Amino acid sequence: MSVTLRVHDLSKTYGNGERAVQAVRHASFSTEPGEFVAVVGPSGSGKTTLLAMVGGLLTPTSGAIEVNGRDIAGLNAGQQAAYRRESVGYVFQANNLLPFLTARENLQVISRITGANGRAARQRADQLLEELGLTNRANAVATELSGGERQRVAIGRALMNDPELVLVDEPTASLDSARGRQVVESLIQEVKSRGKLGLMVTHDMAMAELADRIIEMHDGKLSVRGKLAASG
Amino acid sequence: MIGLLEIRRRKFQFALIALIVTLISYLVLMINGLGVGLNEQAGSALRNFDADAIAYSDKAGLSVIRSELSQEQVDRIAVESGAEASAPLGYMAANYRKDGGEIESAAFLAFDPGTIAAPKVVEGRMLTEEDGDGLLVDKSFLRYSGLAVGDTVTISVRLVERDFRIVGETNEGAFFFQPSVYLLRSTWQELKYGTVDAATPVASIMLLQGNGLAGTSGPGWEAVSKSTAFANIEGVSGQQSTVQALRAFGYLIGGLVIGVFFYVLTLQKIGQIGMLKAVGASSFFVFRQVMVQVLGISLAGVAVAIPLTWLTNRAIQQAPNPVPIAFTNGTFITTSVLLVLMAMVGAMFSGRQVAKVDPIIALGQQQ
Repeated sequence: MSVTLRVHDLSKTYGNGERAVQAVRHASFSTEPGEFVAVVGPSGSGKTTLLAMVGGLLTPTSGAIEVNGRDIAGLNAGQQAAYRRESVGYVFQANNLLPFLTARENLQVISRITGANGRAARQRADQLLEELGLTNRANAVATELSGGERQRVAIGRALMNDPELVLVDEPTASLDSARGRQVVESLIQEVKSRGKLGLMVTHDMAMAELADRIIEMHDGKLSVRGKLAASG
Repeated sequence: MIGLLEIRRRKFQFALIALIVTLISYLVLMINGLGVGLNEQAGSALRNFDADAIAYSDKAGLSVIRSELSQEQVDRIAVESGAEASAPLGYMAANYRKDGGEIESAAFLAFDPGTIAAPKVVEGRMLTEEDGDGLLVDKSFLRYSGLAVGDTVTISVRLVERDFRIVGETNEGAFFFQPSVYLLRSTWQELKYGTVDAATPVASIMLLQGNGLAGTSGPGWEAVSKSTAFANIEGVSGQQSTVQALRAFGYLIGGLVIGVFFYVLTLQKIGQIGMLKAVGASSFFVFRQVMVQVLGISLAGVAVAIPLTWLTNRAIQQAPNPVPIAFTNGTFITTSVLLVLMAMVGAMFSGRQVAKVDPIIALGQQQ
């Protein structure tokens, strides 16, 4: 299934009064089905806040977010958790694997959370590990994996619940550039081959160039580079 | 369960916590055992009386030591109480000479053979009316004294020494923190009061069998249940309060220590918890993992503590002069359940911490 994302006039303000900080200001964009979009910008530009709002980790101050026509901006905390569980796959900057679990078990964390950790979940985990070239590392505990392997396991975990959106936060922060490139290429391939929508926050332009489109953010304002469609 | 997998993979870390739980459980079990043991010493013989109620002279304030009954009172209590069966019982403290010559004291209980006051003999034979110089002694008496059934023992009371022969062994326990020794009531009268005449008390208390006897009274006497009688043994209530306080502190400290351990573990895992919540886990899901760990660790800790306590108890019982300690299945079960429950309550602190973790922290975290 192809996934579309529409962000309209989205703003996020932290604090209030004189201490208010507007992290995202009236951001609007939409994507085409099956795209992989990179969000770039300097530290503090609001790109992580944008990712968090799209991923249901933050509630916008104003504006709309629609994933396949479903409103995300108005969800309450419980609905946000369900949305993240069912529709979002996250790849974090620090990969955030549970260090005491094996590669396979780290993927199965997702099926444990959704309460569907049966044989099918194990098969899906093994299939994802195979696609990511990690079959021989399936039983290795996370602390025994290299940085690149850990990030690939994190990609597998993000795909475990067959999400609509795959949201990626600085995936190469802990990797050297060659390994980082491999990881991002692998990530984009996995996301696009499944017809998912990918949104990747990065400060690394070399990685961003691998995406279909690039959104630039400065001081919470969004500008589009490439052929990203402006929201109507 | 992720929580159980973590225990399996971090055996050393969790084994250390389980060791702490084991030590706390061991301590609380030993305190409970000492409490039960002290109670046994205080008056297990009274608890083992084949009676439903015990009658005292009304001026005694439910003290076996102060209570004295005349023949006329004994006869009246038997009738006025409405008891189905009754029997007088005499008490005195007296000294005896151990096998090695040392002087020790014992609780002497006087009965009439064939009445409900007669103890059960586990070895040797029962006293008869002809056994004026015969004794039935508790098994603890034999252990402390180094004597055996058939031996002669010298009893000292009121500056008089008299030799008795041990004819049988009982398992009735202790009274006033001393091993119980049974003798004939007629002998007890002679030993305790010297010359015996019509005015000499014939018993200290009366054992009564029947329903609804506790709380009954008549001119010069009052009857109470065995549990009330036990609680009124000199020193018992204070001792029980102390043991209860020790128990309560044991449970409280156990719960707090386990709670603090898991609270610190939870604090160390804020990042992991943030990740789990970011990928859609509820606070309850995460908290369940913590609770499963607490349950597993506390069960393991208690499971090790129980045989450890049992072995310690055995070693103590084999000592020549054992401290009063006793265990029942109930002691083990109640203590274990309470300790595990306290551990779970202590772990609730972690639950609050888990609920407070904002999943947004998963973003932007450095390795």
